Amino acid sequence: MAASATGSRDTGPAAAADDRWRWFRGQAFWLVAPALLLLVVCLGLPLAIVTLRSFSEPQWGWQNYVWFFGTPVNLTVLQRTFAISAWVTLVCLIAGYPYAYVMTVVGPKMRLVLILCVLVPFWVSGVVRTLAWVILLQDSGVINSVIRSVGLGPVKLIRTQTGVVIGMAQVLLPFMILPLYSVMKAIDLRLLQAARSLGASPARAFAQVYLPLSLPGVYAGAIIVFILALGFYITPALLGGPRSTMLSTLIQNQVLSLLNWGRGGAMGVVLLIATFVLLALAAPLSRQPHKTGSRR
Amino acid sequence: MKTRIGQGIAFGLLMMTTAALAQSKPVAGEVAEGSLKDKTLTFVSYGGIYQDGQIAALKEFVDKSGVKLLSDGPTEISKLQAQVESGNVTWDVVDTGDFPPYVYCGKLFQKLDFSKIDTSNIPEGQISECSVPAMNYGVVLMYNTEKYKDNPPKSWKDFFDVEKFPGSRALEGSGDLSGGMVEQALLAAGGSVENMTVADIDKAVEKVKSLGPDTIFWKTGADSQQLAESGEADMIAMWTGRAMTAVKNGAKYTPVWQDWLVVMDQMTIPMGVKDADAAYALINAYVGKSAQETLAKTTSYTPIHKDAKPQVDEITASFMTNTPDKLKLGYHQNIKFWVENFEVANEKWNALMAGN
Repeated sequence: MAASATGSRDTGPAAAADDRWRWFRGQAFWLVAPALLLLVVCLGLPLAIVTLRSFSEPQWGWQNYVWFFGTPVNLTVLQRTFAISAWVTLVCLIAGYPYAYVMTVVGPKMRLVLILCVLVPFWVSGVVRTLAWVILLQDSGVINSVIRSVGLGPVKLIRTQTGVVIGMAQVLLPFMILPLYSVMKAIDLRLLQAARSLGASPARAFAQVYLPLSLPGVYAGAIIVFILALGFYITPALLGGPRSTMLSTLIQNQVLSLLNWGRGGAMGVVLLIATFVLLALAAPLSRQPHKTGSRR
Repeated sequence: MKTRIGQGIAFGLLMMTTAALAQSKPVAGEVAEGSLKDKTLTFVSYGGIYQDGQIAALKEFVDKSGVKLLSDGPTEISKLQAQVESGNVTWDVVDTGDFPPYVYCGKLFQKLDFSKIDTSNIPEGQISECSVPAMNYGVVLMYNTEKYKDNPPKSWKDFFDVEKFPGSRALEGSGDLSGGMVEQALLAAGGSVENMTVADIDKAVEKVKSLGPDTIFWKTGADSQQLAESGEADMIAMWTGRAMTAVKNGAKYTPVWQDWLVVMDQMTIPMGVKDADAAYALINAYVGKSAQETLAKTTSYTPIHKDAKPQVDEITASFMTNTPDKLKLGYHQNIKFWVENFEVANEKWNALMAGN
């Protein structure tokens, strides 16, 4: 888009370049064709089948949805799934925001180290990391023995929602930090100096200049983390107890243990629609502050 | 003279038929030389050491019959269902958990022709219309010997009694219903297993809930082993294989064999396999004595051949479940009840597992 804006002038050769550009854009569609095909075959089609089966098995009708909303445990777990995901998003944001900021201000060598610190755990299998958290969080684990050594009682971490949130946040942190960093590194830090020179306190300069400019990164990171968290399966299964079971576990049970594709499908569709609704509600929120930021 | 010849012919014919009969009657572990040359069989199981051991146990069969043996997995009934429904079954012999061959007998799994498998050495009560056992193991009560020094628990009743035996408990919560555990809870609540009703499931679930909010539901075998090795739970209902490994790794736990739950994997043949006879030949070889000894040696699971005497170390031997004294204390779940009420039972179990 930026390229087409600079290229469009009304002089002769530039107009020809413009034409060529338009032609190229037409052709460029074919470059995304493989990706589109992959999406349709590997995402669109299965999704359509799952939705269809949620209405067609065992007979045509709404029975699977009636069952879903008529079974208290499903609603509890659905609500819990959203609550845990929201907590994970919040924890990731609180941990990731300063980290991403530091990445933008340190020298290139230090930045490399910081990026590696984010990415190396990312390359380790999620199961391995989760099992490592089991060792850390359990009653006789590392964290509790440290707490005990300073004379405090054991804290229940494993098989609680706290444990699940900690484990999931660690897995998902890169998805928060990387979008934040990509937005933050484009923010001109001289704007902060300008704000300070015009008499703003550091807190005010941050709140009215830096924070609004970084919000697109916050929203991008939060949405990615939240959506990924909704589908988590292994971490809540290993770090949580019955009170932190998430919807994916119930879906797994319906499909793999009971072979009830209809109910499993209905659960998936409900989760998908609930996610869309939530994102639609959050969408205006992501535009509002940006406008007020530019107006001031 | 004539009658003599007649007698001779009759005798000869008789000998021939018995010989033919003897030949067509399979012997566990045996397969005719080169009989499956140029054929391919796909054997499906749960991977890891277990499936490696099974493949090792089948080596003699592969070498002798000339079959090409492929390995696939892990077993997922949903995948098998997709194969059977689409009419393209690529899994020839499938190792499943306890229940599936009972639930899907005649639907996903073939009713077996037992003239093609020699089942004479398999322990009693383990063969179903659609399956033979793949191996045996058990669910035992393991308790922390340091915690319960002078007053150890003696039965599942003690496991479910947190007043007389204070301490934390761990039991299986991998998602799949464990009928045996529910039955033990019911027994502890004063019910009867033979005449179980659906309402009894609620009674049992209440009993499990009475263990308190700190009850641990382990998700995987490794999980339960970890609980024993770190001493996280004072009493654990766990699989014998994992219990054995935990003890080998130094966990101070001892099993209680009273009413241990007999568990097995099942060998099955899916509906619509391309060469059922070859699949039968594989199973018949698998249940043989030396195959079972190899399996036990490589996996530490208990062989399902009565006379199998695998060479294993002392701790492994102490967790083998096929000794007469242990078989006497063992306990089979009421599979008929669970199959009939599979869905409703699973729903109730799931609600418990989801914290409701």
